[in-house]
Amino acid sequence: MFIGQQYFKHVRVLSFAIMFTLPAAFATAESVDVTALITASEKAAYYAGDDGRSDARMLIVDGQGRKQMRQFTILRKDVADNGDQKMMVFFSRPADVKDTVFRVEKHASLQQEDDRWLYLPALDLVKRISAGDKRTSFTGSHFFYEDVSGRAVSEDNFTLQSETTERYILKASPKTPDSVEFSYYVVEIDKQTTLPVLINFYRENGENYRRVEAVSVETIQGKPTVTRSKVTDLASGGYTLMEFRNVSYDLGLDDNIFSERSLRTPPVQWLK
Amino acid sequence: MNRQATVALALCLMSGLTTTGYARQFVEEQSGQDDLWEDMGDWDETVSPFNWSGFLDVAGGTRLQSDPYHPDNTTLADVRMQLQGAYTFSESKISFRGDALYNGAEDSWQSQIRELYWQGNLGFLGEAGKSVDVKAGQQILTWGTGDYLFLNDLFPKDYQSFFAGRDDDYLKYPSLSMKVSGYFNVLNVDVVITPEFEPDNGINGDIFSYFNPQTGENTSDRLSVSNENTPDKPEYALRLYKTLAGTELAVYGYKGFSKLPQAADVNGMPRYSELSVTGFSAVRAVGPGLGKLEYAFHDGEDTSGNDPRLPNDQSRFLVGYEQELIANLTGGIQWYTELTHDHEALMTNSLWPQYEPSQRRHVLTTQLRYRAWRQTLSLQAFNFYSPTDGDGYLSLKTTWSPVDTWQLGGGLNLFYGDEPHTFYSQFRDASNVYVSFRYYFGE
Repeated sequence: MFIGQQYFKHVRVLSFAIMFTLPAAFATAESVDVTALITASEKAAYYAGDDGRSDARMLIVDGQGRKQMRQFTILRKDVADNGDQKMMVFFSRPADVKDTVFRVEKHASLQQEDDRWLYLPALDLVKRISAGDKRTSFTGSHFFYEDVSGRAVSEDNFTLQSETTERYILKASPKTPDSVEFSYYVVEIDKQTTLPVLINFYRENGENYRRVEAVSVETIQGKPTVTRSKVTDLASGGYTLMEFRNVSYDLGLDDNIFSERSLRTPPVQWLK
Repeated sequence: MNRQATVALALCLMSGLTTTGYARQFVEEQSGQDDLWEDMGDWDETVSPFNWSGFLDVAGGTRLQSDPYHPDNTTLADVRMQLQGAYTFSESKISFRGDALYNGAEDSWQSQIRELYWQGNLGFLGEAGKSVDVKAGQQILTWGTGDYLFLNDLFPKDYQSFFAGRDDDYLKYPSLSMKVSGYFNVLNVDVVITPEFEPDNGINGDIFSYFNPQTGENTSDRLSVSNENTPDKPEYALRLYKTLAGTELAVYGYKGFSKLPQAADVNGMPRYSELSVTGFSAVRAVGPGLGKLEYAFHDGEDTSGNDPRLPNDQSRFLVGYEQELIANLTGGIQWYTELTHDHEALMTNSLWPQYEPSQRRHVLTTQLRYRAWRQTLSLQAFNFYSPTDGDGYLSLKTTWSPVDTWQLGGGLNLFYGDEPHTFYSQFRDASNVYVSFRYYFGE
């Protein structure tokens, strides 16, 4: 791929900045740049702070205009930046999922599947869920499970495609194409925040069938945070809006919160 | 029934339902996206400590064949309202969930408090109390690893609701209990005390007839247990559990009474006999799926097995595996076996040895669960098959809920078998189909 001189200079400047904080990222000149960029982007999007909490609401609109709502609180704690994570999702709406809790131990290693549990309050049942395809709907929305937990950057090969004054535009191709429904995707990363702000997914025939976009970004505790995002199923016209509120980082969440205990007895002090 | 037939039936059911579904569909005028963000803005920031919600549910079901012992073919005719509410304090909550219904199949008005409990932490008692949670009051309780098979879960169940096609929630029956849960580094502990024995709601002739070994045929005579044959003593249940090297391990104990009236008094009338259960389970990721193992020893009053009025001791064993086969389709299998101890003594002393189960009764379950259309449609096929009894039970169910306010459901319960007396086969005339519609409301 041809990379303009101007562009290359920008990437190099950025990569120096990133290498300052991520000294481990060393390889050949070109791959360092991309690897460092996507690693920084992954960290900004999914690993801000050591832990965090957020209230979230999703509005799901299907191709026929029918709407559904989901409201939940997410607690997250990183085991390591760009590595393993613990996550709890406490649902409060609608009525039929109220008090349902989803627990995830995310494993960054491609060899180890995430561990997942679901608590069904009406049955008082903690159900371990077998590893599943991560590119299936997250609680009925157009977001995939992987959009919420984060697709490991090690799953794809990234190449620099072009740039604008504000964004780097990268093309990502899956290392194991059989495991995903897309042929490739194009991600636009904001230069200032390193957040991915637009991702378009393509099929083999070049059809752009899915789009994930950051609609608004706010700086919270010094960390650029996507507070509104949208995913669109371009084939059906259906889409899901997601809004985050009451986001806070570095709360010192205890490891014990991310356990079976919290499935049955939610830690109410973190849910308000 | 083989898996292909299972899938074919599930698909037939699905196409029938979706046709109905589309006919009901309405198309909302699509508002602009800015307006939708405004809708999203209508988000109550001040969290009220009280919240409530509920649903109205209308369900009907009918036998697939007539039952000579039951003139009425209606197996389900519910008009039900459920209300739930919760009040959250700073570190505890009070929760209520109650049903009121007209049960048309039994022509009676009924109500049930499914939950009314206080749940909180004992931190106010000092540092040690912080590791202990208590849930006290009317509640639903569940543990163990089996899907629809219970080895160490001796909490009350409602098989009549399960067979009639009510929502899975109703398979579990509430009990007035206190559950104390301790969370420690060494292991976690659950202790459940139910001050007064709460039996299962088994098949008692009300809706479904059952096999009577005295007559050698089915009967719909109500199987009722007298007060003096129903213990009013407490039940104790214990679970110790811990995750070690990725394996979830648990040890269980129970002291109480058999949950179904399997014993008889001197007059031959049904009664609940004493029962102690000890067991263990393990669950872990195995290959691309999940493997599980569970064992329980059911230790009853009849230690030598020669009293025909008492159930013999049993060892129950379960091994299972499930995995996602393709995106949104999960398959699972379980092999379950009941080993009846002192089987020879049982056969020697039994009044009807020809109807006693074999020493080893095996049950193989297979299930497929499929979710489609962003999980608004769910399909489940679950088959129990006993090679030793030559009988089985196929359950197919589906729900469709494209919006938050309503859900359409339906299903089939099919019992099959060669002989009139075996566990599933005795319910052949209970085979039924059902549909339900649920409307959700709330704040």
